[in-house]
Amino acid sequence: MSTFNLDVYMPVVILIALALLVAGGSMLLGSFIRPHHPNKLKETAYECGEEPIGSAWANFNVRFYVIALIFIIFDVESALMFPVAAVFKRFNEIGLGGTLLISITTFTLVLVAGIVYCWKKGDLDWVKSFNPQVNVASKDK
Amino acid sequence: MFTNTLFLLSALVTLGGAVAVVYSQNLMHACIYLLASLFGVAGLYACIGADFLAATQLVVYAGGVVILMLFAIMLTGGTGNNINRYGLEKVAAMGNKKTYFFAGITAVIFSLVILKILANVLKAQPASVLAANEPTVERLGTILATDHILAFEISSILLLGALIGAAVISRPRKERHD
Amino acid sequence: MNSTVVTYLSQSNEFSAVVKWLTTHLGFDATSLVTFVIFAVASLIVVGALATIGGLGTYAERKISADLQMRQGPNRVGPYGILQFLADGVKMILKEDIIPANADKFTFILAPFLCMVGVFATLAVVPFSSGFMLADLNVGIFYLVGMASLVGVGVFLGGYASNSKWSMLGGMRGASQIISYEIPGTITIVSIVLLAGGLSLKTLISGQGGLPQEWYLFHNPFAFIGFFVYFISALAETNRAPFDLPEAESELVSGYHTEYSGMRFGLFALAEYIEVFVVCGVAVALFLGGYKVPFDLGTGQILVDKLGMDGMIAKNIGQVLELGSFFTKTFALYYVVIWVRWTLPRLRVDQLMTLCWKYLTPIALFNLLGCAVWMYAFDGKSIYSIIFNSAAAVAGNH
Repeated sequence: MSTFNLDVYMPVVILIALALLVAGGSMLLGSFIRPHHPNKLKETAYECGEEPIGSAWANFNVRFYVIALIFIIFDVESALMFPVAAVFKRFNEIGLGGTLLISITTFTLVLVAGIVYCWKKGDLDWVKSFNPQVNVASKDK
Repeated sequence: MFTNTLFLLSALVTLGGAVAVVYSQNLMHACIYLLASLFGVAGLYACIGADFLAATQLVVYAGGVVILMLFAIMLTGGTGNNINRYGLEKVAAMGNKKTYFFAGITAVIFSLVILKILANVLKAQPASVLAANEPTVERLGTILATDHILAFEISSILLLGALIGAAVISRPRKERHD
Repeated sequence: MNSTVVTYLSQSNEFSAVVKWLTTHLGFDATSLVTFVIFAVASLIVVGALATIGGLGTYAERKISADLQMRQGPNRVGPYGILQFLADGVKMILKEDIIPANADKFTFILAPFLCMVGVFATLAVVPFSSGFMLADLNVGIFYLVGMASLVGVGVFLGGYASNSKWSMLGGMRGASQIISYEIPGTITIVSIVLLAGGLSLKTLISGQGGLPQEWYLFHNPFAFIGFFVYFISALAETNRAPFDLPEAESELVSGYHTEYSGMRFGLFALAEYIEVFVVCGVAVALFLGGYKVPFDLGTGQILVDKLGMDGMIAKNIGQVLELGSFFTKTFALYYVVIWVRWTLPRLRVDQLMTLCWKYLTPIALFNLLGCAVWMYAFDGKSIYSIIFNSAAAVAGNH
């Protein structure tokens, strides 16, 4: 027997298996009864009646990548914040809340400084001007 | 009983994913296998009772890094055609039977050597005993808030640097000629 | 040991009797076998119930939208058309399965499965009642965030694999939207964790009470704002209108699932509707008191004391009340989600990103600091208790 009990993770495994089973089962069930008459026209990508020109796998704008980068930074931030936030109440009860409050505030403010910097420099604008002097978003208003 | 099942499943997913990442010639597929591998690692963490680490693995790697990689692949236009305009394969082949054979032998020899070195250490250590699902979150939080408070604060500086770096590299270049 | 549906059931006498009987007859310790069977049955019940709720969600969506637009909505299949979702399901299974010739077949097949896995795995920690939650993981809410982010990968891969321009645009938008809105949502969750002092959903709920003034929603002004931040990001994370840009039918045909037909599309739709239920359930657990029933009726202790009932029966009655409480609140939120969809126009992509990065994220960070300061300044008391206590103190001085 194991030294500690992992039975709490049992539902997770069962649910993942069930998800695959439900999805796979419904596809399998369908494969017995659904029609299958493929033709070339049916198998082309839908472009509102036009014949598709070229592949859809084109180079994408770098802004998506930047969003993902910023996302990861905040993801890591929240991952670091979770344990500290979880003990905040307990620390507060034994009178150490002030220290933790300062530490959380510093941590958050440093990141807020980052957001403010990006905001000021216009990196958070979706529509970017290629001339850095002109800010399209501010011209909109 | 279930611990063994969980471990075996996670280990299988991790190793299978890792092998498939190396074996796959399609970058997109490799990324999906990597997702499976990272998922398996989360399961392995759960096996040793590090539940917070497992969840972090899910949130940061399975949710974040994989999306980042997918976007990065899309920056290059995905894997539409494997042959570039000079008629060369974009994705280099990962080897042939001969290289796999020698790589396999090398891996076996190396792992045997490492096992031989580690065997004494492993035997000397008693099997670690963990309490039933000891909440690691509280302990982590306490450590982060007391002993390692400096590391906690410095990590925010690191994140700030990464944030500014991400913003700077994405900025449109200044036009030299107007 | 964390509390699970098994620990709840093991309180009864029948449980130990069954374990003992099996142990003597099978010749080995049957505890883990019984545990597994209970978990499997409970998971089946949850998945069955949630699949039905997801199906009924499509029906409710159409009926409510019809109501808002003064139409009839589905009214042919079954009484008031309530069996419409079954008819839809049968239709989807019967539809031809078309995989575009240029598609990335492996990814195309995998994408709906990923969505399903991501959504189903989150069900493990949804707190239906204090006894009936599959597993109360120590990292509950964080685990839920991680599993839910798999859906973003599924959406992106679905769009990518189709090799159709509409799908690709939809998938790209979907993934960037889902990950963007995860940030304000997660930071708001951190602020509630700060109030509750734990990550498991049971801890999060146990800090609240059955009556509205004991909910975290009315705990302090920051949590009140936080609820709306969380709700908006939950709408965006599940691709619901007004944030349904990934499937904006007026510009992208059907977005990331344009090329999906039949049951493959059905899996995406099912995952989406179940995810809406899950995020509504989480919002209820975090802000609206979860499964708590007013006046501690949920423990069933009052029935034992006043009526002299058997302990286990009273507990079960309490559980039913808790289930009712949870589902009532969640369905109310579900209604709001559908209501919002048929009321508000869709956002533009740049507005979407502006809303996330320039409004919600700063507000969420502000709320986080606000909650921390509130906890420190008022020793974790809610605004209600502060007002009530000071009023009582004033009244006492007379």
